Amino acid sequence: MSSRPALDPALLSHLISAQRLEDRRGRRGSGIATLDRLLGGGWPRASLCELIGRRSSGRTAILYAALARAIAAGEAAALVDVGGGLDPRRAFAAGIALRRLLWVRCAADVAAKAADLVLGAGGFDLIALDLGDERPRLPAAGWIRFKHGAEKQGTTVLVAAPARAAGSCAAAVVQLGPGAPRFVADGAPLFDGLQAEATKGRGAHEHGPESEEARCASLAFSCRS
Amino acid sequence: MRIACVFVPQLALQAVLRRTPEARGGPVAVLEAGTNKAKRVARVTEISPEARRAGVRAGMTGAQAAAVSAGLRLLTVTAADREAASAALADVGYAFAAAIERGDADRIFFDSEDLARLYPAGETAIAQAVQAVAARVGLGVRVAIAASKGVARLATRAHELALIPTAAGPARAALASIPVELLAEGEPDLAAAFRRWGLRAAGDVAALPVDAIGLRLGPAGARAGRLARGIDDEPFVPRLPDDALEEAIELDYPVAELEPFSFVLRGLIDRALTRLRERSLACAGLTVRLELDPRGVDVRAVPIAAPTGDAATLLQLARLDLARRPPAAPIVGVRLLALPARVRATQLDILRPAGPAPDRLAATIARLAALVGPDNVGAPTVEDTWREEAVAVRTYEPARPDERSAPLPAWRGEADGRRPAGEGNGAANETGAGEPRLAIRRRRPPEEIEMLLNRQGPAAFRGRETTARVLIAAGPYRLSGEWWREGEHFSREYWDVHASDGAVYRVHQNKRDGRWYLDGYYD
Repeated sequence: MSSRPALDPALLSHLISAQRLEDRRGRRGSGIATLDRLLGGGWPRASLCELIGRRSSGRTAILYAALARAIAAGEAAALVDVGGGLDPRRAFAAGIALRRLLWVRCAADVAAKAADLVLGAGGFDLIALDLGDERPRLPAAGWIRFKHGAEKQGTTVLVAAPARAAGSCAAAVVQLGPGAPRFVADGAPLFDGLQAEATKGRGAHEHGPESEEARCASLAFSCRS
Repeated sequence: MRIACVFVPQLALQAVLRRTPEARGGPVAVLEAGTNKAKRVARVTEISPEARRAGVRAGMTGAQAAAVSAGLRLLTVTAADREAASAALADVGYAFAAAIERGDADRIFFDSEDLARLYPAGETAIAQAVQAVAARVGLGVRVAIAASKGVARLATRAHELALIPTAAGPARAALASIPVELLAEGEPDLAAAFRRWGLRAAGDVAALPVDAIGLRLGPAGARAGRLARGIDDEPFVPRLPDDALEEAIELDYPVAELEPFSFVLRGLIDRALTRLRERSLACAGLTVRLELDPRGVDVRAVPIAAPTGDAATLLQLARLDLARRPPAAPIVGVRLLALPARVRATQLDILRPAGPAPDRLAATIARLAALVGPDNVGAPTVEDTWREEAVAVRTYEPARPDERSAPLPAWRGEADGRRPAGEGNGAANETGAGEPRLAIRRRRPPEEIEMLLNRQGPAAFRGRETTARVLIAAGPYRLSGEWWREGEHFSREYWDVHASDGAVYRVHQNKRDGRWYLDGYYD
């Protein structure tokens, strides 16, 4: 019996299993390598995802990274921003091509309606709903509507909020711990960035046992401009 | 050349029925007052077929007509109704041709020769399509297609749909049965002369030599003789459509409240959009001119974020504007000016993300503008200032397919341990150290806070939602500018403070008045 011919190592390094490829196609890069590893390739496409964190947990930075990644890939992205807290200079520094971002600043009571309108338009690959400090007050039916809308339109709806609300409608959940700020204390203190612990919550698409280490990651955010 | 003539019989009646569509199908008569003193009593001028069957006739007074038909609706026509109907008729023409000639208020002409490629079934299909489009804008029309304007006009007087051949012989035969009253319409003396000569139809007139008719009846007679033979030399002078489209209505009584006025506005918007839709256009701008009681006008431009053909959205935007700045007096008339625009079309790419469909995106942006205000929807942009909180909104445009970079395959580089997704075209978000950049969630405008200071700087602060001790304060970072602008000079000292609630806030002190403000928090 003849042995199978050895593949060129250069070619071998580019091979990927069909199952893994399918999984990768169903994910979108978060723009942060550590977070991609935690999520198994990125945020799931065509689904509702939650990003939970309090003030200064790095939640907005993660949101901007995802938006920058989507826009850079030629996808249409929208940010529904409760309170209009977007800082265009920081967003630009985070890699967002501002003219390609649909920004809707609104009050908390119409945020869900605004996001639903954008979702209904179709063609948007990523819709970030940034609730800021507002706790989500959407009824369960509203989350179910978002979930089905995301599936139908092939959109990732990424909800950033201080507390979890979508329940089983969310396909992926990332919970951020309180951020630990870093100050450079060479003479007068200088704010340098912060460190936050990200924990993968149990989403609707997550099955099977997973070690505690695999569910946690440490994220570092830089303040340098 | 083949010229199509589109004629609206009983324009006044049809104009009134466009305004009151619920009256369609019932007995309706149009009442109009005469202009001189002796004829000032309003009389019936035009009547619907139902009213005619009930015995109503032109020339009756309102009381006489009502006595004949119990369920008769007597309506008055205004100049605004006529103008709107006439403009709608013009739009029917522009749905088929780039340029048209507007003859009288109730008639248009356009060149139909080029339409043969679009309607291979022939001119009957063209005429039927014109009638269908006219029906959609609320007009019942007669259509005739002939080699010249005059012949087409004559044919519409006699037929609902007429196709007159180009060749002189067949054209003469097609017109032969038209009565001489219609051949000499508008010139009763000429018609009477033909009758005196024993001529009954156009065919009889065509049998006489034209020069002989001209000798006895003048130029009008000679022209009628040529028309009866299918000969006409009236030039066709088409022109391009107006920049804006108008719909107007005069109200029977003043309206002071927004809710009932919305119904009026909805009707106007629906009619305007129907006309735009027939030309494959959307509405890019809306100007509402309100005529107030007893006098005065209120003109307002309703901001529209993107061209849309959605009536509910336009109505909501107009309502928001009216609610924000109510008119000073009750409204007795409205004139709507809609600015047409083409909805952007895109060529999709099989290998790249499709993006939102232009028409749906435009409608969505307009709806969002109605929901959150037009200044709150669009693409964010950095203003030309050093003020940190400054932000502006510009028109959002998704990337065109030819601008989009091809997305990298997600698995590239993963197998050999290099960075997975996020590399390449999306890497601008990461610093050289591989860390994503922190953002600041801003308060706009910055929230005024009470600040307690110690020798090192901020020690504690109290704001509307936040009260905290300051654990670490980094700063101050001095920023000043715009001293060259009268009254806008700013001078600030910024601090990054790690507060006892765990957050890192950006605060500043206005050095001109000493007050402290919370700009936002790092996140």
